[in-house]
This record gives sequence, structure tokens and C-alpha cells, in this order.
Amino acid sequence: MAMTTSLTWMQEKILQILLRGKKFSLLYKASAHEFSPSNLFEICCNQGPILILIYGDHVIGAYVSENCQRETPVSILLFAFQETEISRCKIGPYEPLKLFGGNVCESNLEFYINLRKQKVTMNLKLIKILNLPECSNISFQECEVFRCEDLLDTRKIQGVTVLRESLLSALRTYKPYKELVHQTRILLLGPVGAGKSSFFNSVKSVFRGHVTHQALVGSDTTGITEQYRTYSIKDGKDGKSLPFILCDSMGLDEEEGMCMGDILHILKGHISDRYQFNFTKPITPGHGNWNDFPLLEDRIHCVAIVFDANSVEDLSSEMVAKIKRIRREMIKCGMAHVVLLTHVDNMALIRKGDLIDIYRYMPVKLKLEAVHEKLGFALSDILVVSNYTSEWDVDPVKDVLILSALRQMLWAADDFLEDLPLEETDIRSKYLTRCAREENDYVNP
Amino acid sequence: MAVTTRLTWNEEKRLQKLLGNVSLSLLYQSSVHGCSIKDMLARCSCQGSTITVIYLGDNIFGAFLLEHYPKTVQSVRKQNSSFFFSLQNNKTTAFLNTSLKITDEELAFHSSNHEEWFFSLVPKKHKLWLLHSLGKELAMNSYHDYSYRECEVFRVEGIKNEANYVSRITGATEYRNMLLEHLRAYKPCVDLVPEIRILLLGPVGSGKSSFFNSVKSIFQGHVTRQATVGSDITSITEMYRIYSIKDGKEGKSLPFMICDSMGLDEKDGVGLCMGDIPHILKGCMPDRYQFNPHQPITSRHSDFIISPSLKDRIHCVAYVLDINSINDLSSKMVVKFKQVQKEVLNCGTAQVVLLTKVNNYHDVLQDNFLNMKKSITSQSQVINVHKMLNIPISNILMVENYASVWEQDPVKDILILSVLRQMLRAADNSLEDLPLSETGEILGQSELCM
Ligand SMILES: Nc1nc2c(ncn2[C@@H]2O[C@H](COP(=O)(O)OP(=O)(O)OP(=O)(O)O)[C@@H](O)[C@H]2O)c(=O)[nH]1
Ligand SMILES: Nc1nc2c(ncn2[C@@H]2O[C@H](COP(=O)(O)OP(=O)(O)OP(=O)(O)O)[C@@H](O)[C@H]2O)c(=O)[nH]1
Ligand SMILES: [Mg+2]
Ligand SMILES: [Mg+2]
Repeated sequence: MAMTTSLTWMQEKILQILLRGKKFSLLYKASAHEFSPSNLFEICCNQGPILILIYGDHVIGAYVSENCQRETPVSILLFAFQETEISRCKIGPYEPLKLFGGNVCESNLEFYINLRKQKVTMNLKLIKILNLPECSNISFQECEVFRCEDLLDTRKIQGVTVLRESLLSALRTYKPYKELVHQTRILLLGPVGAGKSSFFNSVKSVFRGHVTHQALVGSDTTGITEQYRTYSIKDGKDGKSLPFILCDSMGLDEEEGMCMGDILHILKGHISDRYQFNFTKPITPGHGNWNDFPLLEDRIHCVAIVFDANSVEDLSSEMVAKIKRIRREMIKCGMAHVVLLTHVDNMALIRKGDLIDIYRYMPVKLKLEAVHEKLGFALSDILVVSNYTSEWDVDPVKDVLILSALRQMLWAADDFLEDLPLEETDIRSKYLTRCAREENDYVNP
Repeated sequence: MAVTTRLTWNEEKRLQKLLGNVSLSLLYQSSVHGCSIKDMLARCSCQGSTITVIYLGDNIFGAFLLEHYPKTVQSVRKQNSSFFFSLQNNKTTAFLNTSLKITDEELAFHSSNHEEWFFSLVPKKHKLWLLHSLGKELAMNSYHDYSYRECEVFRVEGIKNEANYVSRITGATEYRNMLLEHLRAYKPCVDLVPEIRILLLGPVGSGKSSFFNSVKSIFQGHVTRQATVGSDITSITEMYRIYSIKDGKEGKSLPFMICDSMGLDEKDGVGLCMGDIPHILKGCMPDRYQFNPHQPITSRHSDFIISPSLKDRIHCVAYVLDINSINDLSSKMVVKFKQVQKEVLNCGTAQVVLLTKVNNYHDVLQDNFLNMKKSITSQSQVINVHKMLNIPISNILMVENYASVWEQDPVKDILILSVLRQMLRAADNSLEDLPLSETGEILGQSELCM
């Protein structure tokens, strides 16, 4: 008999939320360890808090929130599933041996499990509360017992903190490929309100050690980005600049929003910091923010296309077409790109504990599939984060997500730099010829 | 009170990876549940595959057992596939089918012919006795009796394909590294050709660009996105690329190049233009050529390579196909493939088939990784491709590319690297087979040019 639980993913998730972020390790399964109370107690005593589940027509459970021992009375949370709803009530304190030992026929107990006979007995009041069909003897086919641990216990927090430190040091010491440029430029592109400005704020917050709000965010007029901004970030408050620049742009929109032309100009490095976007027409040469001779240094090296994870499925077909067009343009100029899904913290049922292993979390996997289906990006190019929005303090779990995403972007940028044809990477000579020309201009006006 | 493992989160993750991305459930912890054999068996029997983890201060030693722990002590030795590992240095040592003897005092592992003793656990004394050579192999410090602080047992879940699990886990990393070394040291058999050029040809979305990324990622040590991949109605790859691959991030270039092309489409005027194929094969097509689905490249193109030498030619063509699409390949596509093949045969280029998106990639190779299994090479997809293109079954290769979050997997790597090795072997064979006159002729031409 295989030791795998009969619980569905959804049921497990609902229990996890009911019990405030617990993770369950299966210890005992009746079909593998016999329907024997003594086996159950031998395996499950002294395992800390435990959860007992019985599977009949309904899934019924009992949660013991203290260390479970045979004869120490404990209070117990009883619950029953109705589809995805759960009804519950507290009983006890009782000795676990009486409730789950099953050999007693004491009629004064409101609830007990007879494991050998595979029957649960409970009084009418409980049956009502738990919304079960009126029948005092409920038979079941399987019984499982789990140890309950906190999904985010100190051990994991410590582990995440260690990981955070190693990511931080990797990013601090990162050097662009062959040091072709001093700082890698990452452009944040995406629909209005996707969380582009918030991602910049998040990265800055991680390196600052507390949450900052340099870029204005939000959906009212002040929070909508209408200016092109290139943000360099300092390591700590007075530290030196980090080896990357995040470029924040105006949101994409079906009608208004950033022009296609401007995107291409940004990619090639023609547009400088603080350009005021005009959604009716793209920038023209001669504008104060127009750079005639962009160097490799001024170009974008990686694009992150940002979406709100909760609304990608609802993107209009015009928006999808626009994104695909942008992707084609990027492919044409060899631009490396990744997708960044924000707002994962708002996904249904998700809890903070799920963020530590986000790419294995089932709804996120399905989300990545959906993005792949809808927009055609490869699964390996889709990253997820939860931005800092309303909190004051940074948190190692979120930091790790943000830093991992950033590291992937820098790797993608390195791929872009490596992929450039030789004549384009030879910037120094280009730069020198340009300087020489300018000098000449200066000498003979 | 909470029962939590002594493993740090990082150690737990490394252990999960070492065991092939499994998940672990703690069943027993000696300091909480009592250290006698009886206490241990009470909690660990009938739990399926387990690992027993011993904490030795600066090192973690462990034993994997494929089958259940028995319910009670048993003086008769029982067969149970197992292997040992030590976590500090990520080393595993295989001892397949050891026999396990459990008495009231100790847990002893012997070779299955009962002749050799490997190690014993004496929980009451908190002692681990280890065969000297085994300790050495796991690079533990040299004493053979150890006092330990704690013993934990975990159930191991998520083992893919139990039948060859033990040999796969214990041998995979080593074999992968061996293959990697082998490919690093590879040299083409013909001096005139410093790098073997492998061309990837196949339908839109079949995984050509992903294959290049996968190979590069393995040599680079982390995920790469140099070739853009993704899905669309028309090919994502629009430019001809001749990729060279470095050994390590800033290392020297490896002696092979992967040439990535636009996807084939069953319709004419869409996808790779048939007229381009001979130019690619002969080495006339320049790197970064922007494909035009309507028209082939002409010698008037500014970068057209007019007299390519042997080194510029394609030395091996891989027809890339999604394994799941083969049984319902449209007849138009089949016709197109045959046309392509005609061109390839005309040029005398070596050819292999590369099947991608092989979900059950764990099951493709034999236990020693040397060959594909018969059950795999006899499946209908392989037979159909074999019939369609008349390519020997040994040159119908399979991979699962790195296509989602990059979790390095030695078995995936082994397939990818083995496939690459087969391609290089095929290229070498056809280069050796080249008539001297032809190498001479091409040589002569290029000399004329200079
Ligand atoms: N819960 C949550 N809210 C987020 C996240 N990222 C952004 N937000 C919120 O989403 C709203 C829009 O975020 P912005 O960062 O302004 O989005 P933007 O892409 O810069 O928008 P425009 O500049 O208007 O194109 C703000 O109210 C943010 O607080 C996230 O990861 N989680
Ligand atoms: N599961 C899985 N997915 C794969 C594999 N190879 C490629 N993919 C996915 O299939 C899609 C197409 O892959 P590409 O590598 O772009 O295919 P291509 O042959 O280069 O396609 P074009 O350039 O468009 O002709 C991407 O989303 C990949 O992530 C594989 O071996 N397994
Ligand atoms: Mg903004
Ligand atoms: Mg491609």
C-alpha cells in the first residue's frame, strides 16, 4: 500500500488555511498500518500537533493542536468537508485514547472513532453543527494521521535568510558580460497598472533594507507613469551604485499609452531620462531627450514585460496582439526578454508560506501555463514576484523572490550582450571615433 | 512542542536534489521518540521508501532503503535495494541489493551475498560503524566508528520509476560529469575542421532553439536564454544563427557549433524557404541572415559566402521533431521532410533525428546510461520516423529540453549530452567517409579565393 494521502490538493489547501498556515506530513495510514488504534498511537504520539482524517461519504477530521499523547486530555477541533466548504466546532478536553482508541462504549462521549469497526459515532448536536446527514454511526474506508508543522517555521525563515544573503552578494558583485557596459539596463514594459513602478520600488527597498516609494504608483493620476525614468540604485543608503539600472516606462494600452515607435527608440537608447511621453506621437530627433549617438551603454539590455498575474487571462485581444507585435520587434533586434508576473500575493488561496517555493505551487504552475497559452512566452521565461506595496518593512521571503527575478534578468542581459555581433560590441573604438569627431567639430566650427 | 528535523532548509533542499527532486516526510527522530531499534521500527515500518539520516557533527551520513522497514526485528537477513550517501560532499555510493539484518541492538547492512559487511548502527550507544573503504569513498574522516548525535528517518515520496531508481541516482551525476569531460576533450577527426557544425531543422515550435539553450546551459552552469524560444503561429526564430558555445561562462570555445534555423511550415511561402537549405548545407549562408520565407538567399546578398570551405559546411543535420506530434504529422509535412532530406543526401551530410518533449525521459536510457532501452526504441513514434526517413534507429535520439524553471537534473543532462555525442560521432563518420578529391576540391577552391 503506497503511503500517499487521499486528500485532494484543494482540501489540503483549505485545511492549511483553516489551521493558519500548517503543513502536513503523513505519518499513519490505516490501509498500510492496519485499522489498529495501538499502531496509530505508537506512530503518532509525541509528534507534536496532529490531524486525524477519516474518509467515508464525507471527509471528517479532528485537529489536536497540542502534542498528542494517549492519556493527556486535550481540546479538539472537529470539522467536516462539504465540497469546498468546511463546518467545524471545538470539543473536549478529552483523552485522545478515549476518542480514537475505539474500545470504549461510553455513551457520554459526544464523539469517538472506532478504528477496528471503521465507524465514527457522534451525537446529534455535533452532526447538525458539522452539517452531516443524520445518522449516529458513520462508517469510513480510510483513516490518515498527519503531523502538523508551521509552513514557515524558524528553520525555514533562517534558510530563506541565508539564501537572501547569497543572492544579495551575487547581485552586488555582478559584472555585465565581459564588462562591455558598466551598468546593465533593464526596461520594464507592460500594461497600465501592471506593477512596473512598484517593481523598481521593490528592488530599491531590498537594497535599502526598508520599503521605499521613490516611484509614484497607483491608479490615480499621480500614480500613472507618464515620464521615462532610468533609475540607478545605491547599495544601502550611502553605498556605491549597483551594476544595473531599471528603466520605468509608461503603461501600454489598447488606444492611449506608449507608442510603438517610442519603445523601439528606448530599446536603441535614443531616449534619455525624464522624457515626457506623448501617446499621440513618438519622439522625434532633435527633442531635448533625444540622443543621436547612443552607445551600447545607453541601450536596453533586457526587457521585462510586466503583467498583473490576476488579470493576464483577461487581456483584450488588441492587447495580446500588441504584446506579440512588441515581441516580434524584440526578436528582430535580438533583445533578451523575460515576463514578470506581479501581484501573486493576491492570487486566490495563496498564503505567504507558499511564496518560499512559488514555482512548485500548483496555481502558479497553472498560471504560467495560461500565460504560455495566451501569449506564447516559454515557461522558462516567466518569473513571478510579489511587490512591496503597503508594508513598512522588508521581508526575506519577498526579498528572495524579487532578487531571484532580478538575477534572471541580469543573466538574460548577459545573453544579449554575448549574442551581439562583434562590430557592435566594439564600443570603445566607436566611442573614440565619436570623440575625435566632436573634437574636430570643436576645433573647426 | 513541535517535531522538526535538524536539517537546515538548505540541507533539506540539497538532499531532495541529491535524491532526484523527491519530497521528504519526517517520521522518526531519536531524541524525541526514543533511541531503541524498537522505537524506530514502530514508527518507520510500512512507510515505503525511506532514508535514515545520521548526524555526525560536521557531516551527515545517510542510507536509502527502497523497500519498507520491517515491522519487527528479524535475525534473517532480508534483501533490500539501498545506497549510502554523505551530504557534506554530495557523494553517493551505491550498494545495490544489500541485505538488512535487524536485531534488538543493531541495524546491519551487508552485501547481498552476505560476505561483506558495510555498516552497522547501534542506537543504544549512539554509534555508527562504517567499513573503512566506504567511509573513504564518501570522503568522511578516516575513523570507522563514529558517535552520532541524532538519527532521523524520513519517508521518500515522488520517486519516478522505482525499477531503476537506485542505479540512476547513484550513477547519474558521475556519468554526467564523465560525459561532460568527454565532450570538453572532443576533437573533430579531420584536422581541416576545427569545429563540427550541427544544423537543427524541423517544424515550427519543435524545440530547435530550446535544444541549443539546453546545451549551452549545461556548459555554462546556469540557465541561458540566448536563443529566443516561445510559441506562435509562425516561427519565433527568424534569423539564421551559428552559435558557438563556451566552456564555462568565460572559458574557451568548444569544438562544435549549433546552427539554428527558422521552423519549417507545411505551407509554401511560410517558414524556412526550401531553396535556402542547400545554401545552408554548403556553408554559403552567413550568420545572422534574416530569413525570407518567399525567396531563398542569392549570391548577390552582401554577406553570401561564395566559396565556403569544408569547415563552413554543415557536418551533421538533426531533424528536430516533437515526439508527441509524430503519429499525426500531416502528409504535407512528410512530403516537405522528404524534400529536405533529398537535399541533405545530395550534400552527403550526416543526419540524425532529434525527438524533443520526451516527458518520460527518466525511462529512456538503460541503467548504465550507455544505450536506449529496447522498449523505448520500439515505440510507434520511433518506428514511424524510422520508416519515414530511413534513418537507423540508433540515430533517432531523444531529449527533454530545459523548458520550465531550471532545476538541474543529471538524467536530463545525460540525455542531452549523449545526444550531442551521437551527433558528433555521426559527423565524424561522414567526414571520414568524404572522398579525398572532395576535401581537396573544396580546399583548392578556398585557396583560389584567397
Ligand atoms: N498586492 C500587490 N499589489 C501590487 C503589486 N505590484 C503593484 N501593486 C499595486 O498595483 C498598483 C499599480 O502599480 P504600479 O506600480 O503603479 O503599476 P505601473 O505598471 O507602474 O502602472 P503605470 O505606471 O500606470 O503604467 C499599485 O496600487 C500597486 O500598489 C504586487 O505585487 N502585489
Ligand atoms: N516540455 C518541453 N517543452 C519544450 C521542449 N523543447 C521546447 N519546448 C517548448 O516548446 C516551445 C517551442 O520551443 P522552441 O525552442 O522555440 O522551438 P523552435 O523549434 O525553435 O521553434 P521556432 O523557432 O518557432 O521554429 C517553447 O515554449 C519551449 O519552451 C521540450 O523538450 N520539452
Ligand atoms: Mg508606473
Ligand atoms: Mg527557434
